[in-house]
Amino acid sequence: MLLDGTALGLQFGLLGVGLTLVYGLGGILNLAYGQMAVMGAMVVTLTMRAGLPAGWAVAVGLLTVGALGLLLDATIMRPVYRQQGEHRVLLSLLLTLGVGIVIDGLLMWRYPIGSLGLDIGGAAVEIFGVRMRTGTLLASVISVTTGGLMLAFLRMSTLGKAIRSVIQDEEGSRLVGINPAAVRRLIFILSGILAGLVAVTRSMTSPVGVNAGIDFTILALIVAVVGGLGSISGAFVAGILLGMVSTVSAFYIGQYITTIVLLAAAAATILLRPTGLLGRNT
Amino acid sequence: MSLLSVDRLEKRFGGLPAVDGVSFAVDEGEILAIVGPNGAGKSTLLKVIGGLERATAGVVTLGDEPITGLSPHQIRRRGLAMVMQTPRSFSSMTTIENSVLGAMFGGHTGRLSEREAVARGRDALAFVGLGARARHPVGTLNLHEQRFLELARALAGRPRILLLDEVMAGLNDTELRSSIDIVRTVRDHLGITVIWVEHVMKAVMNLAERILVLNFGRVLVDGDPQQVMRHPEVIDAYLGTARA
Repeated sequence: MLLDGTALGLQFGLLGVGLTLVYGLGGILNLAYGQMAVMGAMVVTLTMRAGLPAGWAVAVGLLTVGALGLLLDATIMRPVYRQQGEHRVLLSLLLTLGVGIVIDGLLMWRYPIGSLGLDIGGAAVEIFGVRMRTGTLLASVISVTTGGLMLAFLRMSTLGKAIRSVIQDEEGSRLVGINPAAVRRLIFILSGILAGLVAVTRSMTSPVGVNAGIDFTILALIVAVVGGLGSISGAFVAGILLGMVSTVSAFYIGQYITTIVLLAAAAATILLRPTGLLGRNT
Repeated sequence: MSLLSVDRLEKRFGGLPAVDGVSFAVDEGEILAIVGPNGAGKSTLLKVIGGLERATAGVVTLGDEPITGLSPHQIRRRGLAMVMQTPRSFSSMTTIENSVLGAMFGGHTGRLSEREAVARGRDALAFVGLGARARHPVGTLNLHEQRFLELARALAGRPRILLLDEVMAGLNDTELRSSIDIVRTVRDHLGITVIWVEHVMKAVMNLAERILVLNFGRVLVDGDPQQVMRHPEVIDAYLGTARA
């Protein structure tokens, strides 16, 4: 069960990272985030139905959500960037909420019973003396790899540092000669791909339904808040922690109550440590 | 030909003019100090030149290209670097990482390879005397050292002209002396033109070769230090005595 919790937690972590990266852009909360994830999943489903092998379908799905991120950045986020402070936060909330509702509406209208279930198949594997489902294992491997790559990219590469510099101090980054607009574009693409990826790995253990968007958004929000909004390593840690809490709670209490438990965890974090687990004190 | 020229530059906030028709030019290799009472529009003037604030009217020309209306990163990539009063270093990174970012993105000589950017970043750190602190997090530097790091980050892009905004405020005598020395070295050894807004008059008289006095957003006097300090209107502006 702990392994299951970690596997789930890793995915929570990635989900949180995608949201928290965008939040770093002066407090933009992307409420269409979960819908982007679901859209990725649906594209994978449709592509597979069209006859492409799963691997290719996943690639197409991820590229589509990445492109969707790019599209959002180029269109609806434009007026948001022009605002500062609270106005930026509010406008982003309203606009992305709208985008989320539109995506939800379109998907449920066109594919009312659609869902993505990647059946990895095969027997359970034994690791460290524990039996694990192949789907869980694959999902974990993908999540760990992606998480590791993301952290390495942000910490070591110059481009990654440029991203962090914009998150930390947009005006400071301009003074260095960094173009914040280019960085924002990159972040939106990355965030979209992360959302899509998490939907894909989730579908390896349980099907992702067409209406799962809002759940993804809420989950990402909880993870990001607990980890400290804007903190990337914080989102990872919080994700793993909450993944365990979620698995334990779902096992002993039940799935529905689990969401409330998670929300309570987020609320408690805000009360006890407003900056989150690893949040910066600014 | 002058390196940077400012022509009838204006910046209004609401209806109020902060910079009200300022014109001047600096030649390659000059050190120009801009002084004036609080609220005279000095910092706003620098911000408009550097693209952090948008001009209401007027033109700034760098070399032979107008830069008014460009964004800060575009201006920086044309060879104009700024250091602000409050250090804006990225605190989650080391000093060398900060400096390398300046070399990588702030250069005006086109894209650099990673290796070249690191080399330039390291050179700039060594130049300001922070070479030994390369791997230290920014948080371990004091205010004086952080300003030097900002200078290194600016220099790492090998700019043609450097804008300094009250970078000597709040320093003790020793720090002040080393700051004056480093600005002079920047010009003498790197050949970089300096425009420098300053409140600390001791530093200004020590370093500036030419002084521009701003008052109420306008140029009061523009000339060599001795001449400027004897000017009756300057004495007025500073002492605030009303003369008939």
